[in-house]
Amino acid sequence: MIKRSLWVFHLNSGSCNGCDIEVLNMFAPRNDVERLGIKLVGSPRHADAIAFTGPITRECLPKVIDALTAVPDPKVVLAIGACACGGGIWYDTYSVIGGIKELYKILKEEYNIEPPATVFIPGCPPKPEAIIYGVALARGMLQKKQFAQVYVEPEESLEAEKSRLEALVREAKGTRHFLPKIAVRRV
Amino acid sequence: MVVEVLKGCKILRHDDRVTVAEVSPERAREIAKGLFNAGCYYSCGMGVDERPVNMRFAMYHVFNCEAERRHVILKLTTPTNELTLPSITPVIEGASWSEREAMDMLGIIFDGHPEPERLILPEDWPEGVYPLRKDFPYNKKLPPAKPKEGRKKPRPDIIEVPLGPYHPTLHEPEYFELYVKGDKIVDAKYRGFHIHRGMEKLAESRMTLNQVPFLAERICGICGCTHSTAYCQAVEDAAGIYVPERARYIRTIMLEIERLHSHLLWFGVACHLLGFDSGFMHLWRAREYIMDIAELITGNRKTYGINIIGGVRRDIPEKKKRKVLELLDLAEKDSREILDNVVKMGELKERMENVGVLPKKKGREIGVVGPVARASGIDTDVRRDHPYAAYGDLDFEVPVYKGEDVLSRFLVRYDETFQSFSMIKQALDNMPEGELINEDYEIPSFKLGLGVTEAPRGEDVHLVITWGENKVYRWHPRASTYNNLPAIPIMLRGNDIADAPIIIASIDPCFSCTDHVSIIDSENGRVLWRGSLEEGIRRVGNGKA
Repeated sequence: MIKRSLWVFHLNSGSCNGCDIEVLNMFAPRNDVERLGIKLVGSPRHADAIAFTGPITRECLPKVIDALTAVPDPKVVLAIGACACGGGIWYDTYSVIGGIKELYKILKEEYNIEPPATVFIPGCPPKPEAIIYGVALARGMLQKKQFAQVYVEPEESLEAEKSRLEALVREAKGTRHFLPKIAVRRV
Repeated sequence: MVVEVLKGCKILRHDDRVTVAEVSPERAREIAKGLFNAGCYYSCGMGVDERPVNMRFAMYHVFNCEAERRHVILKLTTPTNELTLPSITPVIEGASWSEREAMDMLGIIFDGHPEPERLILPEDWPEGVYPLRKDFPYNKKLPPAKPKEGRKKPRPDIIEVPLGPYHPTLHEPEYFELYVKGDKIVDAKYRGFHIHRGMEKLAESRMTLNQVPFLAERICGICGCTHSTAYCQAVEDAAGIYVPERARYIRTIMLEIERLHSHLLWFGVACHLLGFDSGFMHLWRAREYIMDIAELITGNRKTYGINIIGGVRRDIPEKKKRKVLELLDLAEKDSREILDNVVKMGELKERMENVGVLPKKKGREIGVVGPVARASGIDTDVRRDHPYAAYGDLDFEVPVYKGEDVLSRFLVRYDETFQSFSMIKQALDNMPEGELINEDYEIPSFKLGLGVTEAPRGEDVHLVITWGENKVYRWHPRASTYNNLPAIPIMLRGNDIADAPIIIASIDPCFSCTDHVSIIDSENGRVLWRGSLEEGIRRVGNGKA
């Protein structure tokens, strides 16, 4: 997605700090990502990527949208931690929007903004190594190991197979996990 | 002393740790004042919707009485079908936030409160909706209401400088408004509560009793273990559960490991804010050993998930113990070398000396806790005054400095760091054999329990009211930053604007702890921020460098 040095703006949308200190930890001597050209910047206007943490609280929402739209295109969003990926433990409480997927829905519906490229880094909190792995994915240095595909064994009758596939697709779409496309292949 | 003050009240509980008294509303102020004069400081307050039980609302005020080593809880109840209670803020300044919190979340009206404004709910939250009442469903998402119009006119001679919510020196969204004359800060205003995630409501609705420790751990990613310990202690206190010795020792070890990682983190951030990035790098290198120890014992670098009601979930076997001691020696040697050099640096000392002064008397009135209190000459430490876990068996000192400034807060943490190293070693050596968990207990219905711990930032108080059917009726965590934040405007007054970041950082603020209940904010925070974020960053950012 982005080939050159990645400048990162850290955007906390109501996280508990766990992910934030692990983001900071990336810049400490043991993992020192500055040697890979990754730098933390103070303003969203200087950034290529956003280190996004937290489940997006109701109060933060307008501020998060402002900061997110201030980052010039093309941009990459690193959704760090369980909260950013899907809302975490409080995904449905009264004061939480519930993860970056919900934010993209709001952006699409109310502001007509297409969601930027996103790398999901789950964990509570994810280890710095996992975040670096996510950054490498964002820069296109690594290939994704996960595919949004469901593999099934062939059934005897075609009808039964069809209904089972439909049920699987429905179930996958109903989950809160990010599955952009569901392709079904016969093994 | 306390018993004399409480004469004539109905005593609900009186043992060697806690006194609970039901106070009639007319006598509330008199008794609160009496307790303050007897040397107790205001610790926290919890509003409860008790309508399903007795058709009333209740307010619990907790006082910490160090001299007698006990907590005093005053229970005030509203008359049936009414919402009014007298405010004790006119006599106890520290109660202000707790009462405003109860106003926002439960709709209790506090008579005579000097500042009965919204502390908490956001400007687009509709009027007359109270999320902590029992008839409000936890997952109800309300459409935004129209915010109140009007913004007060700024004075022409004073410049407002916004700091936050997204600012290079803050790693959490919080908003400070500094009022500046030339280069000096005249006054400051804090508007926080961006990180309200509806945790208390979640605990009493979707979660079960033994799931809440894991929820409590996620109050804060830095000092989570002490929150889950405090919650477990509160339930154990309510139900009278015995915790095995070995479990107490393991809790102590984890709490001290957490304190070490938190203090080393703070030293690093403080060095960074003072423009000494080499210090930041070296301290965070030393801190990695501590993170390795946590990972070795619990399997995770943060959010240990080790506490559960009645004990702990993981043991420290002999092989791990040896490895932990090895890593601990490395960490101690490294951090001592670095910190000794940092303390000797004249440049850093000058940036910290006589900066951000908090006088002892003022600190006592607000009820500041932890290193902030100890740096202002207030000798308080929950580990010594109200021993919990295995702290009663350990040998340690409580550092107290009288400088009242940022340097003293630095030195208090410096001393505490090395006390922690020694405490972990003592606990590992003296750890008795035995059970890890006691699962033989029954939870009584509608019983109040109190759990108190000393977090890296100060006293954490958890109040729990149990409920049958494996549920909590009400859970109220109060983090230490909640008590320390009101001191920031006092510390900022009269200082250079360039010193603002280090003064704010000097209380080691942990906003996510504080905001568990609250959302934000008041009239104009958002409007101001939109117009001037970049300007604010440029001004304050340049000043800092």
